[in-house]
Amino acid sequence: MTIEEITQILNNKFPEKLKIIEVTSHQPAFFIEKEILLEICKFAKQSDQLKIDFVNAIFAVDRTDSLEIVYVLFSLEKRHRLCLKAKLPRKDAEIDSVTQVWEAANWFERETSELFGIKFKGHPDPRPLLLAEDWSEGYPMLRDWEGKDFIKLPPK
Amino acid sequence: MPEEIHAEEFMVNMGPQHPSTHGVLRLMLTMDGEVVLDAIPHVGYLHRALEKIAENRTFLQYIPYTDRLDYVSAMFGNYAFVYPIEKLANVVVPERAEYIRVIMMELNRIASHLIWLGTFSLDLGAITPFLYCFREREQILDLFEMVCGQRMTFNYMRVGGVSKDLPDEFVPMARKFVDYFKPRVDEYEEILTHNPIFLGRTKGIGLLDKETAVEHSVSGPSLRGCGINWDLRKNEPYSIYDRFTFEIPLGKASDVWDRYEVRIQEMRQANLIVEQALKQLPQGEFKTKIPAVFKPPAGEVYTRIEAPRGEMGFYIITDGTTKPYRVKIRTGSFCNLTVLPKLCKGWKIADLVAIFGSLDVVLPEVDR
Repeated sequence: MTIEEITQILNNKFPEKLKIIEVTSHQPAFFIEKEILLEICKFAKQSDQLKIDFVNAIFAVDRTDSLEIVYVLFSLEKRHRLCLKAKLPRKDAEIDSVTQVWEAANWFERETSELFGIKFKGHPDPRPLLLAEDWSEGYPMLRDWEGKDFIKLPPK
Repeated sequence: MPEEIHAEEFMVNMGPQHPSTHGVLRLMLTMDGEVVLDAIPHVGYLHRALEKIAENRTFLQYIPYTDRLDYVSAMFGNYAFVYPIEKLANVVVPERAEYIRVIMMELNRIASHLIWLGTFSLDLGAITPFLYCFREREQILDLFEMVCGQRMTFNYMRVGGVSKDLPDEFVPMARKFVDYFKPRVDEYEEILTHNPIFLGRTKGIGLLDKETAVEHSVSGPSLRGCGINWDLRKNEPYSIYDRFTFEIPLGKASDVWDRYEVRIQEMRQANLIVEQALKQLPQGEFKTKIPAVFKPPAGEVYTRIEAPRGEMGFYIITDGTTKPYRVKIRTGSFCNLTVLPKLCKGWKIADLVAIFGSLDVVLPEVDR
């Protein structure tokens, strides 16, 4: 299914809730309100036309004024991609967990949570994944993070 | 043992230092006698913050780091990183470079599956295949050493091509290897495939049904082992994979044996691809000239390739400077490992070793 058709299906289902953004045409993505994320993911999985069943990646990006969470999804059966994005505040960010929709989201969300400080509401197992259990130096993937051994190279 | 007799449940730590976890993985097992009731994987022992480091390095500087994702198949890490950048910056890669890359990647796939086969059979108590596998792998590593001077972490691919052209001796030696390797796979199969002890350890063990596999986004040979025909080389051809004829081996029963057989057949197919690529290898440039200060245009791209352990993808966000703004690495092992707790429930601890081995997880790829 082409991105236009997917846009139409999602627009019919969630009118005025999402806007498509074209990022250099390589990676078309939908910006959505974070409140409808879970709803939209459930729909994308259950809808016979979309059947999004495969998680490529879930991660966050620090845009310095806000955080952006990205869901790169795919349908093994229909063979089309879907990329969802949502804006989150930099402090005390919260978003619904999609682990109940795709089990594969579990570890991706755990990783994003500990590295960016995003809380995933309803996550079944919110322990840290990669960092040490007693880690207390903040959220290292934030761009203004400072660690005691971390030296930034001068910009070129 | 009659149903009603139960030993007291107890916890066992398997790892972080355990020979059959091939790296530092800690499994917290809840056991009832020797039956596994629950397994909780703890990862992160090899976390080197590769995604954070990427924000602080230029594109060229970051290539060696991608070697250290999956160190037994480093060519794939290299390629998975340069491919999206080429796409973003519209770099045209010379024909010869594409052929060289495919030859390197498929040789690396064989080497990687050989390591897997060797260690997997060692875990099950068969020592001979291990020696055979390393004998053949040695020859592949010699070929790699010839082209890039390295045997493990190659740092060979560049944006727009590869770092060095093939030396003259390479093609004849690679041809010799291809011919030499064909009957060797039969040799491994003679020892293992229909060996009653091996069958007893693998047939019907660790069933991974299609729904669970997709639910956990399992990819690579583990996914094809349960009969789902999904291989990015065929379904989303990248590089020049659409020019070769090869088959995608599939499993039926989705047990440990099927995942073993899929990888064995994949070695044969990879060998076929190398053979065809060597035949078609054109003359010409091995690298496009790109500016010394390379600044791809601002944008975002996600591309993925079929690595030996499943889908390896890079999501790269650039902002028009010499460094990437954000790099997200998606690896096959990361998702494949999440399915382990479901797979090993109810099996004996010795089967856990076989099941975990059949998933072919490499830990640095999980922790990044």
